[in-house]
Amino acid sequence: MAPPEVHHLFHNPIADHSFSADRNTLAIARDTTVELYGRAGNAFKLQDELKGHDKTVTSLDIAPNSGRIVSCSQDRNALVWEPTPQGYKPTLVLLRINRAATFVRWSPSETKFAVGSGDRLIAVCYFEQENDWWVSKHLKKPIRSTVTTLAWHPNSVLLAAGSTDAHARVFSSFIKGVDARPDPTAWGERLPFNTVCGEYLNNSAGWVHSVAFSPSGDALAFAAHDSSITVVYPSAPEQPPKAVISINTQLLPFMSLIWNGEAEIIAAGHGCEPYRFNGGIEGWQLSGALEAKALGGSGDQREESALNMFRQMDLKGKVKDDTQLKTTHQNTVTTIRAYETAGDAVRKFSSSGVDGRVVIWNV
Amino acid sequence: MSIIREHTQATLSDAWRTIDIDALDPDSPANFDTATLHTALPDISEADVRQLTAQVRQLLRGGDAEGALRGCLETPVYATNTGTPAAVAAAAENGSGNELAREAALQTVVEVLQSIKASEMTPMLQRIYGSPGGSECLDVLMKYLYKGMAATSASAGGSGPRTPTRMTPQPTGFSQIGPRPGAATESTGAAMSVLLSWHEKVVEVAGLGCIGRVMTDWRRV
Repeated sequence: MAPPEVHHLFHNPIADHSFSADRNTLAIARDTTVELYGRAGNAFKLQDELKGHDKTVTSLDIAPNSGRIVSCSQDRNALVWEPTPQGYKPTLVLLRINRAATFVRWSPSETKFAVGSGDRLIAVCYFEQENDWWVSKHLKKPIRSTVTTLAWHPNSVLLAAGSTDAHARVFSSFIKGVDARPDPTAWGERLPFNTVCGEYLNNSAGWVHSVAFSPSGDALAFAAHDSSITVVYPSAPEQPPKAVISINTQLLPFMSLIWNGEAEIIAAGHGCEPYRFNGGIEGWQLSGALEAKALGGSGDQREESALNMFRQMDLKGKVKDDTQLKTTHQNTVTTIRAYETAGDAVRKFSSSGVDGRVVIWNV
Repeated sequence: MSIIREHTQATLSDAWRTIDIDALDPDSPANFDTATLHTALPDISEADVRQLTAQVRQLLRGGDAEGALRGCLETPVYATNTGTPAAVAAAAENGSGNELAREAALQTVVEVLQSIKASEMTPMLQRIYGSPGGSECLDVLMKYLYKGMAATSASAGGSGPRTPTRMTPQPTGFSQIGPRPGAATESTGAAMSVLLSWHEKVVEVAGLGCIGRVMTDWRRV
């Protein structure tokens, strides 16, 4: 397996990253700005800085077809950056929230996006032609705490949300005039706005860090702070799910997960490296780390002179410098995203973390 | 002029600053009912625990330490005084809840742990972890280890300040439970070292995830 492609951009945490559809532009949420990096050969070079937020940018997303970038921040605002020949032009979105915005994702149709917030609600935003601005409708009902993560169903109507009240929920975000009537799915048939199609709790009631629909949209996976992953298979609307499978792991909690086909989940988080889960409706299990450990340890195999060894023992009381982790990421991985796909399968995925690295992995 | 003075007089008093506005908002996190975060917990009385203890002792005498350990871990006594923060505070004040049953359950677990030889710990934990439901059992064991450490360190502290949560409502002042402030410090030290070596072994088998689950879980033993 080819080694992962590592881009160490800077020594600051990366809150979120997103690649454009042609994978030549990389958007990074760094502190209060959105930084755009362009591919130059094997490296990424800083090209543009989008300054518009005055507090930490928490999340961003590039729409693959339109190229619009949406970013949200702790300053309670979301901005849509429209690409123009003169650069990116920001438009403020009317979120109507009075706590930080925590997470944003475009719907697959790109006509809407959803913003999670600390105001215990999700703002579903869409463009209003007659007024020429982005407006929002609030999904409020059973959410009891900060929304930490969101994921769209392929039909662009169903929206999964994870929250610090330990629940993963599936909502309908159907907006008349924007969405076409969706085909009935196992989650629901008639879906007016704010229909709660499912509400799932993990065993230890840990915060939910990440949610994801399977490629078909017929299963939902979520990762929580009790180091577990839960996969839910719904049966029919208003019925208990066919199966809820929860895997407790021995590892540190996962912060982000993606599906690779219907039978594999890739998750990464505080363990600083991605892990693979395999299974299906009859059960799931952890298959192991994606990374071959010998690769990460290449720096350790430097030949040590006797003088150097004794100097190290004298200075630090130990022979080896063990401040480096054996993993590619040197700190928590906060986001993983599909990078290159073939149908439902993921060929490559990208990860970003607190260590300021963006890594592109071969599956 | 006078208006200004009145205004400053009114605002100088900072009583209004201490109003807990979160308590007035029914949707606020301060009124969050944590009982909604888990399924209904069984109410296990002290008598039930005594009965369980007797069974566990019998297993221990019969040499089935693993069965004894599993027995305690499969029926953990969870705190029943959960709910909104206000409800928990009220329950703590009037001494309701199953504090006594929980203490007794802890004693039983510690007794079993102390009777198992160091060389048997890891194989036993691996067998439990490998069996169905074993991961949850070790999570419960970890909860008891931390609770046990809190109890022994509180009692070793002797006359030092004790947190209110550690005070069990016992109007007679008579304690049936384990090493208390009066007991010799050697025994608490020994209890602590047993718990620490178990802690090490449990982390080896169940990983760091186990510690994380103890910290996140709302079901307290």
